[in-house]
Amino acid sequence: MTDTNTQEPQQAMEQLASAISSEVIIDLNQVNKWYADFHVLKDIDLIVHKGERIVVCGPSGSGKSTLIRCINHLEEHQAGSIVVDGITLDKNLKNIDHIRTEVGMVFQSSNLFPHLSILENLTLGPIWVRKMPKAEAEATARKYLERVKIPEQADKYPGQLSGGQQQRVAIARSLCMNPKIMLFDEPTSALDPEMIKEVLDVMIELADTGMTMIVVTHEMNFAKTIADRVIFMDEGDIVEENEPNEFFNNPQHERTRLFLSQIL
Amino acid sequence: MAIVKTEKTPAREAPLSETTIIGWMSKNLFGSVFNSILTVVTLYIIYLTVRDVWVWGVADAVWVADNRRECFKISIDGACWAGVITWMDNIFYGRYPREELWRINLGAILLFVWMVPLWLPRVKAKVLIGVTTVFLYPFLAGYLFAGGDKGIFMQVMISAAIVCLIGNTLHSIIGVLTGSSLPEFLIRLLGRQDAPEKSQHKILFGILAVSLVVVYLWQMGWHAEGVSWTKWGGLFLTLVISGIGIASALPGGIILALGRRSRLPVIRVLSTAFIELFRSVPLITVLFMATTMFPLFMPEGVVLNKLVQVIIAVCLFNACYMAETVRAGLQAIPKGQAEGAHTIGLGYWGTMGLIIMPQALKHMIPNIVGSFIGLLKDTTLVSIIGLFDILGMLRSISRDTPWLGLHKEPLIFGAILFFLICFAMSKYSRHLEVKLSTGHKK
Ligand SMILES: Nc1ncnc2c1ncn2[C@@H]1O[C@H](COP(=O)(O)OP(=O)(O)OP(=O)(O)O)[C@@H](O)[C@H]1O
Ligand SMILES: [Mg+2]
Repeated sequence: MTDTNTQEPQQAMEQLASAISSEVIIDLNQVNKWYADFHVLKDIDLIVHKGERIVVCGPSGSGKSTLIRCINHLEEHQAGSIVVDGITLDKNLKNIDHIRTEVGMVFQSSNLFPHLSILENLTLGPIWVRKMPKAEAEATARKYLERVKIPEQADKYPGQLSGGQQQRVAIARSLCMNPKIMLFDEPTSALDPEMIKEVLDVMIELADTGMTMIVVTHEMNFAKTIADRVIFMDEGDIVEENEPNEFFNNPQHERTRLFLSQIL
Repeated sequence: MAIVKTEKTPAREAPLSETTIIGWMSKNLFGSVFNSILTVVTLYIIYLTVRDVWVWGVADAVWVADNRRECFKISIDGACWAGVITWMDNIFYGRYPREELWRINLGAILLFVWMVPLWLPRVKAKVLIGVTTVFLYPFLAGYLFAGGDKGIFMQVMISAAIVCLIGNTLHSIIGVLTGSSLPEFLIRLLGRQDAPEKSQHKILFGILAVSLVVVYLWQMGWHAEGVSWTKWGGLFLTLVISGIGIASALPGGIILALGRRSRLPVIRVLSTAFIELFRSVPLITVLFMATTMFPLFMPEGVVLNKLVQVIIAVCLFNACYMAETVRAGLQAIPKGQAEGAHTIGLGYWGTMGLIIMPQALKHMIPNIVGSFIGLLKDTTLVSIIGLFDILGMLRSISRDTPWLGLHKEPLIFGAILFFLICFAMSKYSRHLEVKLSTGHKK
């Protein structure tokens, strides 16, 4: 690991410092996870501050998805501690349900609910989980549809939208819950090139609002644009962690170099 | 050298074989010599069959006669429908007292009235209506059919059912006329649409409570004479048993299927054992066991009548089959759906009830209706353990002195009845499938 200083312009550093508060919102301490006897996550330590944008990359099977799925407890870790927004993730189902309302997540496939219209997809969480009155939930939903630039699709069904539109709806669906943290697991890797940009644009806008984000992606230009930190994983380890310019221009670990040479 | 097409190719008409009936026939029925021979032979066989059936069943048949001998006298090789016609009431109602038949008919009409909203467009909350049909109608109908003394519990359920029926009917009339729901209509009627949601709920709740009390008081003075279950029979009994079986199979199946997928080992093992036990035994065995074994489990002094035992057995048996259907449906839903639901904070029940189950049930409609049809037909097995369901009734015609030996006609009549009912069910399931799948598919 290297320090995040050296030849970086002073200005950019200040900007960074102002956006990120010192409040810790995610704290992973010596997290370990096994699938049966396969060790997926090995002694993971990761601290995320409020407002921080983190990009996670690494070769296939390195445990990136598993890592971020542990943060909202879609996967259970077996050792170590995970504290999200001050709440420790353990067997307590109430805690888990609560964390999930604070942590939004967008998957590679949008996982929209095909039997519900777009508007219903968006209002479901607010109405049933947040107990919001229907009219208010619909107003919020339309606001976020506006923000992801597809207000006119509200009454369609997921099957009638393009892949890029579906991903944007998925982002809006998470935002409707007014989360503190957004997790993205390769949100663009199943999309055609022309749709990737429309999704990334929405994510960049989201980053500008100061949302705490952890993004698993191989879109390196995107990483350079928004990331405060890039994390490189390999075989269940966090091998290297650095701010983006350094990470891409001056990778320290040989496995990072190998990986970057393959994808850039 | 580049090849460039300068003119558009105009669309031409499709060949005759694709558009006209004669074209279709010459292509598909008389395409080759062998095909033509096959067509002609098949048509001839169909002609022979239909002609014979027609002559026996209609042209030479006897419709009015006092007994079988008279039938023979009128026409020796025609069908003797007279026997079936004389027994018609028995076939439909068993030995239910003739002056009380209106109660069965009324029950049927009420069921129809209850379900009509499900078929009407513009009516909201169809799922709720469906659920009340399953959970409240049986109490009303049960008392209507059985009569006798009402316990407090029965009185409450009957009142709830009546209130629900009235509410349902008003709701659907309002829905068809104005497109809004009954609660919305009531609130508007009272001019309280600007009141906060909480107080609106209070008002609606008040209306519900008052109508419950009114109906309760009214029904106290209402009494139907008891009719022993031994008098129940015919198609009526078949429909009662299979109706209860159908209504309880799905809820029971869902519970068992969820139990089998539960994370709690005790629940999982128990559900699995229960399901496998019932699935590995034929229904007829379950029926025999029910009539001989249930009494052993009952506390002393409690005497279950045979009908109740049979109904319990049919319900359990079918719930177990349904559980496997439901489980298959649940497994067909991708894991991402549950994860998507979890990420917006829905817990287990929210995820199941709002996301997984609605999708799974939609996929399962053909299978579900298939098992309902199977259930209806399997119910005829109860005639073996001595209940006079429709099959029992049809077969007892041949033992009735005037119609001694009349087997064929009653059974054919029964087959036609079953065919009509089952065919209608399967057609309806097709229709449901098409209707529910529009919207979310491309
Ligand atoms: N449910 C599971 N059961 C067993 N092994 C699993 C399971 N899920 C993932 N794995 C394994 O764990 C490892 C890490 O998986 P993970 O999905 O986290 O990788 P990833 O870094 O996200 O890869 P990709 O870039 O392909 O998405 C892989 O080797 C995978 O085969
Ligand atoms: Mg992954």
